[in-house]
Amino acid sequence: MEEYDYSDVKPLPIETDLQDELCRIMYTEDYKRLMGLARALISLNELSPRALQLTAEIIDVAPAFYTIWNYRFNIVRHMMSESEDTVLYLNKELDWLDEVTLNNPKNYQIWSYRQSLLKLHPSPSFKRELPILKLMIDDDSKNYHVWSYRKWCCLFFSDFQHELAYASDLIETDIYNNSAWTHRMFYWVNAKDVISKVELADELQFIMDKIQLVPQNISPWTYLRGFQELFHDRLQWDSKVVDFATTFIGDVLSLPIGSPEDLPEIESSYALEFLAYHWGADPCTRDNAVKAYSLLAIKYDPIRKNLWHHKINNLN
Amino acid sequence: MRQRVGRSIARAKFINTALLGRKRPVMERVVDIAHVDSSKAIQPLMKELETDTTEARYKVLQSVLEIYDDEKNIEPALTKEFHKMYLDVAFEISLPPQMTALDASQPWMLYWIANSLKVMDRDWLSDDTKRKIVDKLFTISPSGGPFGGGPGQLSHLASTYAAINALSLCDNIDGCWDRIDRKGIYQWLISLKEPNGGFKTCLEVGEVDTRGIYCALSIATLLNILTEELTEGVLNYLKNCQNYEGGFGSCPHVDEAHGGYTFCATASLAILRSMDQINVEKLLEWSSARQLQEERGFCGRSNKLVDGCYSFWVGGSAAILEAFGYGQCFSKHALRDYILYCCQEKEQPGLRDKPGAHSDFYHTNYCLLGLAVAESSYSCTPNDSPHNIKCTPDRLIGSSKLTDVNPVYGLPIENVRKIIHYFKSNLSSPS
Repeated sequence: MEEYDYSDVKPLPIETDLQDELCRIMYTEDYKRLMGLARALISLNELSPRALQLTAEIIDVAPAFYTIWNYRFNIVRHMMSESEDTVLYLNKELDWLDEVTLNNPKNYQIWSYRQSLLKLHPSPSFKRELPILKLMIDDDSKNYHVWSYRKWCCLFFSDFQHELAYASDLIETDIYNNSAWTHRMFYWVNAKDVISKVELADELQFIMDKIQLVPQNISPWTYLRGFQELFHDRLQWDSKVVDFATTFIGDVLSLPIGSPEDLPEIESSYALEFLAYHWGADPCTRDNAVKAYSLLAIKYDPIRKNLWHHKINNLN
Repeated sequence: MRQRVGRSIARAKFINTALLGRKRPVMERVVDIAHVDSSKAIQPLMKELETDTTEARYKVLQSVLEIYDDEKNIEPALTKEFHKMYLDVAFEISLPPQMTALDASQPWMLYWIANSLKVMDRDWLSDDTKRKIVDKLFTISPSGGPFGGGPGQLSHLASTYAAINALSLCDNIDGCWDRIDRKGIYQWLISLKEPNGGFKTCLEVGEVDTRGIYCALSIATLLNILTEELTEGVLNYLKNCQNYEGGFGSCPHVDEAHGGYTFCATASLAILRSMDQINVEKLLEWSSARQLQEERGFCGRSNKLVDGCYSFWVGGSAAILEAFGYGQCFSKHALRDYILYCCQEKEQPGLRDKPGAHSDFYHTNYCLLGLAVAESSYSCTPNDSPHNIKCTPDRLIGSSKLTDVNPVYGLPIENVRKIIHYFKSNLSSPS
């Protein structure tokens, strides 16, 4: 790492002179020096290599310090315009950012900074983003920022070609990964107008296979409902899907509603909820919906009793 | 030097788990119910694959169920005086260098601590402390706002939200509300607006998400600077953040539904009086599904772990829906159990995420707000402004005798009313 000389800069104080200040942080001397220098350079609006180096050091110790991210952006934008090769310069910045990203999985600022860099870049590439995104998701498969940023990239680059396979991979690794299921829906919402009949049937089969594997899993059931609604009116659901859901609730619909102990276990309370939602849309099957909601309240999902009663009231 | 070594180790660990450890094939195996101790009445999950998700949940379940089992004969109670100690100390001493991570969130600390005190007892925020809060905030922004995370920092939406909330708690002591630069804040809010209806958290590299919208709308209603210019496009943005699951994500592109963002969207819709513009039934379903049967508390997303802070992010959203007459969708009793049994600890004051975690200011505030929501019923005249939400104690549920809170603002009802009335009656809107 190159050593820069800051001896001509007079650090600004970062501590207040308030008496009995609330929540005063006891900064280390090193932190005070770094931040004091940064405040001084910011006030001079110095856009230089040494200022850039200082921001890197600060981000290393205080990654959530958004003021520094903004300052760094201004420096990069300025130095980029002075560099001979803008692409090379910004790629170098992205390399640095990759390193910071790996060390700060929960950070907010990194992602908007990345977006700003890509918008600045003369020839941004989704391909360049993919490895770091993959590393981040391998480390934490439900990292919200990373998934959201990945979606932003797809839209920014108008490129969805890897998404379905990627979502499948992640679901394969952890069938409960709701982030991956949501990403799959993101894919279909954007492919809605070009989906073929074969793809539609394949996707339905994919969902049903996953439910068959683990019936008591909220993610694919919600997804199944969402997928149905994306392509069909609530009344026009595929009877195949409805029949499929029915296989997870045994014969509870034909049993009298007694005490919870008298009712048998079923394979999936989410199947019952899914069916109740479907039945509730049609006056001919409304009684089934009421019964399903009653069963959920009594036995199969009792903590949500208030919701089920609310549903029954709506139907009556 | 120490820093470097620590980082290399972290990096090596990362590469190990990321590249070598994680990617393993799905094991297809039926999990025995005994695995999680059947004596503790877990609903049988008939077929199940063991994955990272189930592994993480079982770990939490074990500690939670142990607590419920050990304490089933003990009436749960909020150890108020004990938590007060934690909060008072935080306002009396300087924070150790490890807290430097909060250097860019100083107004948040003031709000979390002051609000926690006030929610537990309306007399626990002394005039002396209020004056110190005011001093600190106007040192961060001598011009009276907008506010940054600390002195010399850029103005930020989240910091300004926290600062205005903290000032609301100070009851206009020494006329501090007159020192707020409402015009400056308004112009700044307008400058953060994006063409898609969202707000940047700061200029010029800042996130745009539902959080930013909520902060902007909350600030603007408390200061009575909400205009059509400010809200233009906001409703559309929010509508597009509700995904197929029923909850809301951070951005309008089928982001995953999340408790924090869902709260931001729901509270914003209440402020805009536009709840009928979204699918409320699905929002109710999603919110109620966040409450876990065995843990009794809320998780923030499907198949994620219970966390005390969602007691307010999800519970508060549900309370807003209840207030506007859409129905009450969760078990307040069970939520109260989770907060009182699992988010408190005998040896350590303050409230926490879950058993095994340390308490912190953030969780203390949001667990207390969640508890307040769990012990109350909410109502409002249809289409009324959310600052007129009424709160009554829910007689079927135990009481910790907390201050009534307004779920839209995360503040005591009386403070919300007071500041809104102040700016409505004294000064006119800047536009």
